[in-house]
Amino acid sequence: MAKETFTESMTVAKDPQDSKVTKPKTSVLGFIADKGIFFFTGILVLTAVLFVDGFASLQNVTDVFHRAAPIGIVALGMTFVVITGNYLDLSVVAQAAAAGVILIAVSNAFNLIIAFAVAFVVAIIFGLVNGIAVGYFKANAVIVTLATTYIGLGLLRLLSGGSQVFGPADGPIATFGTSKLGPFPFSALVLIAVTLVLTFVLTRTNFGFMIRSFGVNNSATRLAGTNTGLIVIGAFMVTSMAAMFAGFVLAAFSNTAVSNMATGFDFQALAAIIVGGTSVFGGKGSVPRTLLGVVFVSILSNVLVLAQVSYGFQQVAIGSLIVLAVTVDALGRRVSKK
Amino acid sequence: MTNQTVIKVGSTATGFWGKLRTVLARRTEGRAVVLFAIIATVVTVSQPLVFTAYQVTLGRIALIGLVALGLTAVILMGELDLSVASTLAVSGVIAVTVANQTNMAIGVLAALAAGVLISLINAFFVAIIGINSFITTLGMLFALRGMAFVISDEAPVKLQNTDLGIAFGQPLLGPLTPRILIFFFIFIAIQIFVSRVKAGRELLAVGGNRQAAYDAGIPVKRRIFTGFIISGVVASIAGIINAVERTSADPTSGSTVLLASFAAAIIGGNYLKGGKGSIVGTLIGAASLGMLQVALTISGVQIPIQEIFIGGILLIAVITDPSSLRAVWGSISTTLQGIRNSLAK
Repeated sequence: MAKETFTESMTVAKDPQDSKVTKPKTSVLGFIADKGIFFFTGILVLTAVLFVDGFASLQNVTDVFHRAAPIGIVALGMTFVVITGNYLDLSVVAQAAAAGVILIAVSNAFNLIIAFAVAFVVAIIFGLVNGIAVGYFKANAVIVTLATTYIGLGLLRLLSGGSQVFGPADGPIATFGTSKLGPFPFSALVLIAVTLVLTFVLTRTNFGFMIRSFGVNNSATRLAGTNTGLIVIGAFMVTSMAAMFAGFVLAAFSNTAVSNMATGFDFQALAAIIVGGTSVFGGKGSVPRTLLGVVFVSILSNVLVLAQVSYGFQQVAIGSLIVLAVTVDALGRRVSKK
Repeated sequence: MTNQTVIKVGSTATGFWGKLRTVLARRTEGRAVVLFAIIATVVTVSQPLVFTAYQVTLGRIALIGLVALGLTAVILMGELDLSVASTLAVSGVIAVTVANQTNMAIGVLAALAAGVLISLINAFFVAIIGINSFITTLGMLFALRGMAFVISDEAPVKLQNTDLGIAFGQPLLGPLTPRILIFFFIFIAIQIFVSRVKAGRELLAVGGNRQAAYDAGIPVKRRIFTGFIISGVVASIAGIINAVERTSADPTSGSTVLLASFAAAIIGGNYLKGGKGSIVGTLIGAASLGMLQVALTISGVQIPIQEIFIGGILLIAVITDPSSLRAVWGSISTTLQGIRNSLAK
């Protein structure tokens, strides 16, 4: 008798704890949304190696990473904005171009240090304007960053005259853009370094914890006494800094810069982030996932280029990829909630 | 009958000023009217040519406003359609390509069908799958731009029937070109639909409180389809008009239209969260921007500066939204309260 009550009380005591510990049942779609990227990247690489001529050469693989670096760096930074649930930052197009043009034009006129300083100040201004409008005015991030994109690009075109700027052929920028460490181009190393730093910030610092907490439930975070406006400004600031580095790397590639050189970065970065498994609904995601998404998207576009698919179809592919990835995420969520 | 209770809805203000205040409080066009007055005054003083060459100004307003009118129907539901810019490009390319092979009427029908199909896809993802409309239409914006490149073979398509194009640019009724007439016709149609037709009123209900609208028996999903179809078809019409008037369809067109039409709709006082707004507001917003653009062009201001102006106006419009101002006032008063508390200690 006593034994029975004992076991009964055990099960009663254990039950609520159990339901907390066991993860909610995930559906197939939920599983794909969560882990799918690993399989799809594997399948894509395998298909590319087997069926696409010229993919599996060291030259091509380093080239893929070389090209992926600027968009990748932007995507890594923009992950912070997406995790806070603010969709994306369209103005990275203007920010990266501004950083590139400033780097080359100002270092031509003065020196490299002043160029870095000016680009840094510009990035801070972009981050502040976007962050304050979204964080404190609670304005829609897409509209705000659409406006700042045009303001930024307009100013840039006005000040640079819309023409291409060239750096000196033997300057430090050109050296950085073409040099390699072993088989790795410097740009790929910057990509890895940014990944490590941002992973640390997102997972090991107070700020990163606040970002994730804000993404999961922003009113709870605010009620817990956090200044949520500052969190949003911080997220946009990280994106601005990343876009600045992306602009530097992009300008160093060819030792030239022009105001429209980053066109399409916004969408490609968003595609990489979403495909990597960071949710546009906010709260869920990580920096290494975005890196994996970048690898996937850049291998995909490399394969499309090698298979001589036209530019138009490449855009159709990436646009469909965004919608498809979000659909899987949304359906997976809906099923797992039931 | 003696103890009949009178339920007063809304403000109980009486007298002329009270009634006026009630009417003003209900309207959402306040900012649009203020901006319009400022721009009209400045333009009258500095660049009166904008009014003497009113044909040009009206044409510009129609260009900006047409897409904005369709967009308003979606914004009233609290959704957003970023894909209008690409819908415009795709429709223009389809209209011209088909018209070159058959005739203009079939070209127009094909382009309109494309517009409907695009909006059905958008609405499917938003209403049935339940994805946020920003992300859906952003993906569509990108995919459709690619589609325009594919169909046009990555180069502007020339309209072979140039006579039609030239005739289309000529005044049809008095000094008004077909573009302006179509613009006003669509404005009146959407205005009547949103303010007088049940289905149109329901768009506002869906935007105001989706759950309440559903509970009240409004077919929410069908209304989302309605809204997106309006915006898609209107963007299509704008694309066809652009292509015919210029006798060529450019697959890259529409990126500046995106900014200007959003600016017009948001300046017009349409709440991005939905449920409040008006088509008249969008018209006033488009009129302000159109006058500004023509004035800047006549004064010889470069395109980049014009973009800075319109981007700046969009940014100011979106942060002076009443809900934005309330949000920022909330954080300021919290901060002040915090300072006061720490001073009291």
